[in-house]
Amino acid sequence: MTEKAATLRAHLDVFIDDTLSRCTRCGKCFEACPMTRYSDGLTGADPKNVVSGVLDWLKQTPGNAESVAWLKVCTQSSRCVEACPEGINAMKMIRVGQMSAMGSLGLSGKPALSGRDAKDFFRVINAFSETQMTPEEIERWQR
Amino acid sequence: MTDKVTFWYGCNVVRHGDIIHSAITLLEAVGVEVTPAGGAGYCCGTSKDANLRAAEGMGRRTVEKFNAHGTEQVVSWCPSCYRHMNAFMGEYTDARFQLSSFAQILHARRDVLAAKVTHRIERKVMLHKHFGFHEVDVNPLVEDLLRLIPGVELVATDVSSPGHMCSALSRVPASLKEATRAVCDTAISAHVDTVATVFHSCQRLLCALEGSEPFKVVNYVNLLTEAMGLPSQDDYKDWKLAGSEAAVRAKVGDARIAAMGEKLFRESILPELLRPPSK
Repeated sequence: MTEKAATLRAHLDVFIDDTLSRCTRCGKCFEACPMTRYSDGLTGADPKNVVSGVLDWLKQTPGNAESVAWLKVCTQSSRCVEACPEGINAMKMIRVGQMSAMGSLGLSGKPALSGRDAKDFFRVINAFSETQMTPEEIERWQR
Repeated sequence: MTDKVTFWYGCNVVRHGDIIHSAITLLEAVGVEVTPAGGAGYCCGTSKDANLRAAEGMGRRTVEKFNAHGTEQVVSWCPSCYRHMNAFMGEYTDARFQLSSFAQILHARRDVLAAKVTHRIERKVMLHKHFGFHEVDVNPLVEDLLRLIPGVELVATDVSSPGHMCSALSRVPASLKEATRAVCDTAISAHVDTVATVFHSCQRLLCALEGSEPFKVVNYVNLLTEAMGLPSQDDYKDWKLAGSEAAVRAKVGDARIAAMGEKLFRESILPELLRPPSK
């Protein structure tokens, strides 16, 4: 039995190794994506080339411009998951590629993707909570 | 399924206390003992892809708190939380519970629910669908639940948008606009009076369509509780439909604005409430 990863990063490393070893760069995940038409940067793109670029991000090497364009328009539609003939979770592959392009996996230099959530995210969440829940509910349900 | 569950409602749904309370009402109505958990203190960390240290810390903390609840099952409202638990959090933590989605639990007990939703509601309803939640095929489950309501005519449509809910489309504004326009066009051509949303972010981003379109936007859990004789109040929609800063301030109220802080209200809350739907 495979031992569970001790950290998120350790899990990502296992996932990356597995994906790199099994992905055949067939491009079917890209072909199945309903979002590519929203990016001018993907017009006429070669699916194999785009996927190779995403795999470069997994290897912590900057991927090509088309791969960045694809990472930007992913809305987690899952079509790629169903399309992969190797059973790779291609949506997770894209997500980890995004993490790499944000610089989260250790790639130095200016991140190709911005990944910061709104600075007020949790303050807004807490503010709305206080308008919708009683103090007792907040204390019992959210602490 | 166990009778005791932790109901993990998530973060962003706190804009819609009506959805949270209705969901709890429905679980209890079908005989489930519920420990609710959500808000920032139970965040899954899915928004922290740019900071994996923070993401891991949040994920680990949330799993540990669920373990401490001692329930064998965590029922997730939010598809993002569900996905993040399945794909990431559960891979590096010792999660001692099973994860399921809210609609699955309700659907599994729909025979019990049917006996509770007895108040007739005359509505012609279209379900607003996304096809991205591949882990749980939620749309047919919700359609089955809506069919339990006496008086509801559920109109079948083949319109389904990318993403697992509308907020996923926000990063590609043209796709959100197109998806919203498709909802409007389909609802109008089908002559429905109600668009039922499945998830909270769809309710958040579509509810203000009521200001310009000939249909209501209601989350399906509120239709079900209405059919139980328990109507709910969607404050967030009321605020979104207010139409001006003065009207929003009047509806939210001075005391609540003071509690959240004028600066936060002015810089973050008010712009969200005044932003029209993308269409």
